[in-house]
Amino acid sequence: MDGQLLSATFVELTDTMVADFDVIDFLHVLTDRSVQLLDVSAAGLLLADPRGELRVVAASSEAARLLELFQLQNDQGPCLDCFRGGQPVTVADLNAEAQRWPRFTAAARQAGFAAVQASPMRLRDQVIGALNLFRATPGAFDPANVRVGQALADVATISLLHERSMRHSDTLNQQLQAALNSRVIIEQAKGKLAERLGIDMTQAVSILRSYARNRNLRLADLAQAFIDGTEPLIGQIAPRSPGDR
Amino acid sequence: MTGSRAGRIWGLVAAQAGRRGGRVSAADACAAAVAAVSVTGGWLTAASDGEAGHLMRVTDAVSEQLAELQLTLGEGPSLDAPASGGPVLASDLGTAEAGRRWPAFAAAARQAGAGAIFAFPLRIGAIGVGVLGLYRAWPGPLSTFQLGDALVFADTATLLLLDGQDDTPGNPSAGTVPGGQPADLALHRAEIDQATGMLTEQLGTGIASAFMRLRAYAFVNDLRLTDVARDIVGRRLRLYPDPSQDGGA
Repeated sequence: MDGQLLSATFVELTDTMVADFDVIDFLHVLTDRSVQLLDVSAAGLLLADPRGELRVVAASSEAARLLELFQLQNDQGPCLDCFRGGQPVTVADLNAEAQRWPRFTAAARQAGFAAVQASPMRLRDQVIGALNLFRATPGAFDPANVRVGQALADVATISLLHERSMRHSDTLNQQLQAALNSRVIIEQAKGKLAERLGIDMTQAVSILRSYARNRNLRLADLAQAFIDGTEPLIGQIAPRSPGDR
Repeated sequence: MTGSRAGRIWGLVAAQAGRRGGRVSAADACAAAVAAVSVTGGWLTAASDGEAGHLMRVTDAVSEQLAELQLTLGEGPSLDAPASGGPVLASDLGTAEAGRRWPAFAAAARQAGAGAIFAFPLRIGAIGVGVLGLYRAWPGPLSTFQLGDALVFADTATLLLLDGQDDTPGNPSAGTVPGGQPADLALHRAEIDQATGMLTEQLGTGIASAFMRLRAYAFVNDLRLTDVARDIVGRRLRLYPDPSQDGGA
């Protein structure tokens, strides 16, 4: 592992956690950095909704997001086991676990993943979610990387609790619901932009994210303004041939 | 797990409408939530974003006072919830934190008889339709189970309010709920949100109308909402301002 990248990542993550920061964008950065740091192909982050189920709140790629959704829909997979047991789950070779999770291992193989490492997000005695790392090649996970993965999961937990002066469980639930709603706003804005420009969802979100970054806007605020029609996304939307809509 | 929770809560809301002898409405979700979540009372405000809000239901005199105090004073959990996008859970209005956050309202609400207030924004992403407020005469947080139920009551009220707003002539969902039961918002997939955003462009409408058209299309054609959404996102289906043109992309 690159020690300099590791320390730079923690500095970046803690620097981002100032008042009124963007939880959703932060969790995305966290999944992206997990991929770079831990020598994995993709990362996904699940959080428990008090309604009684897990939700995908961030993923480093569309393939990882779909695989997380697949686990939720089929109620089967290492990330769910990690969440339910509150313990890390490491699978060095998914092919060897086809009996344990038949549908999940098939879907993972199709998505191009051969190994999984899941770290629980714990708040005292409560498990609030899991950070999941997917790798394209089978093989044992480096124990040092597993520890860093857990540290990143802990940072994700802390990021949801930044209003520390309030009651912890209330704060977490408020933050979580607001984050889930932000996720929905961003998906709605992606759809609108993808349709407007005739591009796919991955391109749409990357335009929205870089636009928000460059102007120091929260991604969800930008998305809301774009949907309301108060944010025209200057420089992003204009260059299409006339009459081509 | 959530499916059965949504079904149970829909049953409670429908039973409340039955006792009242009317068609199921968001007001019934408010009244049923008060009983199920073990709070003292509640109120429901219908409002598009940026509007003052219209008080649709109060379950007792204190609830009415709490709702009105917030509008009069211009502060309180009901006003903060829509802006944050998540619930505002003020488990103890007597704390210094609550006093700092709502200098006029916290004291006035306690005087009126509230120890705790829980305000739930009625929204799906950028679609905001109002607020569900609940209060307890005594301080103390909602349990995780109660919070989960309250969130699903709020989801149910959101869909019922949207259905109530949709008075498009001939719209099958006007005043009723497609399929007899609101879709489970928690199970709701990113494709539905993406398709809703795409429809704002295809239809040239606001986000709430786009979502209503999506639901109406699924209802009329007896399709699952997620399947319709997936076809729109996959650009196999387009909807048009004139519904008779709806079809392949």
